[in-house]
Amino acid sequence: MYSINAFSGKLLVSEAAGVWAKQAMVTYDSDSGTNQPGKSRPGFARRSLFSTHHKTIGLQYLWLALFSVFLGMAMSLVMRIHLVWPGAHIPFLSALGGSAERFATLPLLHGSLMIFFVLTAAPQAGLGNYLLPLQIGAREMAFPTLNLFCFWATVASLVGMTAGFLLVPQKGITLWIVSVSIFCGASLCSALNFTVTTIDLRAQGMTLPRLPVTVWAWFLNGILGMLIFSILLAACLCALSDRVFATTFFPAASFLASQPAALAADSSLVLWQRLFWFFAQAEVYVAMLPCFGIVTHLLATFSRKPVWKERLVVLALCGVGLVGFCVWGQHMFSSGMNPFSPLVFSVLASSLGLPATILVLSWFGTLRNARLRLNTSMLFALGFISLFLAGGLSGVFLAGRGFKSTSVREDFVIGHFHLVMGVAATFAILGALFFWFPRLFGRHMNEPLGKLHFWLTFVGVYFAFMPMHWLGLVPHTGRIPGANLTTLASLLEPIRAFITAAILITVLAQGVFLFNFLWSLARGERVGDCNPWRATTLEWSTALLRDDSGARGPVVYRGAYEFGGLEVAEDFVPQDVAPDQVAKAH
Amino acid sequence: MPGVPTVQEIEFVIEERRDGGGGGRPPDGGDDGDNNRGRRSGKPSPKRYYTGIAIGLVSILMFFMALASAYLVRKSGSKDWVPIHLPGVLWFNTLVLIASSFTMEQARQLLAQTFLSSFRKLWIATTALGILFLAGQLVAWRQLVAQGIYMASNPSSSFFYIFTGAHGVHLLGGIAALLFVSLHNFDKSQISISIAAEITSYYWHFMDGLWIFLLALLYLGK
Repeated sequence: MYSINAFSGKLLVSEAAGVWAKQAMVTYDSDSGTNQPGKSRPGFARRSLFSTHHKTIGLQYLWLALFSVFLGMAMSLVMRIHLVWPGAHIPFLSALGGSAERFATLPLLHGSLMIFFVLTAAPQAGLGNYLLPLQIGAREMAFPTLNLFCFWATVASLVGMTAGFLLVPQKGITLWIVSVSIFCGASLCSALNFTVTTIDLRAQGMTLPRLPVTVWAWFLNGILGMLIFSILLAACLCALSDRVFATTFFPAASFLASQPAALAADSSLVLWQRLFWFFAQAEVYVAMLPCFGIVTHLLATFSRKPVWKERLVVLALCGVGLVGFCVWGQHMFSSGMNPFSPLVFSVLASSLGLPATILVLSWFGTLRNARLRLNTSMLFALGFISLFLAGGLSGVFLAGRGFKSTSVREDFVIGHFHLVMGVAATFAILGALFFWFPRLFGRHMNEPLGKLHFWLTFVGVYFAFMPMHWLGLVPHTGRIPGANLTTLASLLEPIRAFITAAILITVLAQGVFLFNFLWSLARGERVGDCNPWRATTLEWSTALLRDDSGARGPVVYRGAYEFGGLEVAEDFVPQDVAPDQVAKAH
Repeated sequence: MPGVPTVQEIEFVIEERRDGGGGGRPPDGGDDGDNNRGRRSGKPSPKRYYTGIAIGLVSILMFFMALASAYLVRKSGSKDWVPIHLPGVLWFNTLVLIASSFTMEQARQLLAQTFLSSFRKLWIATTALGILFLAGQLVAWRQLVAQGIYMASNPSSSFFYIFTGAHGVHLLGGIAALLFVSLHNFDKSQISISIAAEITSYYWHFMDGLWIFLLALLYLGK
């Protein structure tokens, strides 16, 4: 196995100059794809706002996500501060959560901004649009105009959701539902684009086993998105018709007449719940799948080792998609469904453990005995694993149906999904940003600042969300005879204040990131080498950059993770280096 | 170990490339490489349209399945469900839609035999039948309104309106595609008229089948 890797190492020492070390001279084309010779340069609007080029659209999605994440974080700050110090007045921010109704809609807007525009849009539409065509050696997405439409529909939906927050609640919710429907439509078209691009536009020789794991993740995510967003769209359509045409698709009273009295009094809308969770549970995996791919990719590159059991990892990703699609009932244990169905869903939810375990094992297998390069990007990938494990373990408790929601306060669930979905996914996105920043903008991000940001965030989120689990368990311990409830209650307030302080620090730490990001855009160290991370995939290929306007696309000769040969200076073979070049060097 | 080829594999690849003169087959005779040939040198492969329509149809199916399952769940648990009497014009509309599928297939056969003018005539007939179907659906709505059955009257009528409405909107897309095929100038286009007609026909037949399913659901499941 390692003969080939040593062999590639030798190649790099001798042959590299001729093949892919001339990279310093190659300029980046990060701004637009309309760089074909002989064409006049189009105006700003056509070039940046209405460009159909996949790189431009990918970057636009990333900017949108950056905007949304800071808006969403401001909201979580308002919520936490008002929870601990109800009388506190913060200029501008307090006005956002001023009235009681508006404060009640804050979590809704915080959640929808973060889930739709950050966790769904950034890793899939942002990074995916930019990198998927590059990684498979395609020049464009399959349907570029559709892609442009998707982006602007997403923007419209963001504007709609935010505007809905400023209206009176009754109108605001209607506008929110309309915006979610628009988002669904955009996601559907975007998922279609991803799926078709991966199936049909791969470069010569880019067979399925040779696809980078990131591409697999984006592809599977596209398929999953095609299925679940249409369901949310249908549900939104019914909900909208209930609000606008006064229909009763989701009746509050009559449908619950057959339910147990306690639940009927709760007046929760079971049918809506079913449709919504059908979407929402799978949505967790829509957000996580690209992150799994990104982390696997980063770990292999910075461990300088092939992905351990790569095919098994791909199968595990398929498994996550498949099972993730089937666990929609997991969130409804207390909704009075058929008593047997919770058992089925519980088993299914637990069976998600298998693909997740495979992924974690593969990550550790890749890390084992590796000579790690601990830069910021790798730190975030490792942080992802840590958070995923910590959050996933608490998820095991939630998947057990004995652990009924009546005995767990919502804080436990909030802590759980923030750790496993929100923060872990954000770590993967940040790792990806640090990794691909040189490819996106031709500059490096500042490493010391990046590391400072990582450690502050890492410690901050653990300090914020771990105590939240304990808060959630308080009523649970209250059932133990002899437990002193008053002592417990007196403990709650300091814990809440502690969480708020931790969140404050975490949010402030993101200021470090924002500064680093913007500063690096303008002043970051220029990338001297086209392939600064010594990575193997096509987006770093000099040949491809030079060939951007050429007639012939790249040809792929090998798998995506050919690392190894620790004893030589260069230890990798890019995917598009021909075997005869390798043989010559040999 | 996946992803790491053996030395034999590489030698085989080198040999193959010498024989093939380069650029012919993908290095390992992969599952798809052939379709991408020539993609960079001008026109992109039209295969993406076929893949796109196939995946798109699955997604549309999922949308209607979500509505259909909502219909069944909503009906089974409720006490406020009053079945509606389906307007008779629906049966006529169904025949019109089925007829449009037949004329479309006839038109495509004529296109394959390059009888362009007769193709156009039949294609326009298909479009007209599609518009007739939509007009018929509107008549069905008017008939219900005349009976005093509105969207909010009852859950069953809500479902009737939302099924026919959603299907109608999708069919409007189909009519747009039909008009595109008859009006677009395909000389400079990336896509040829036969491919455009074929893709449109997949969508149209799917909408046809979907309508029959929805009608069966509304008739048998009321």
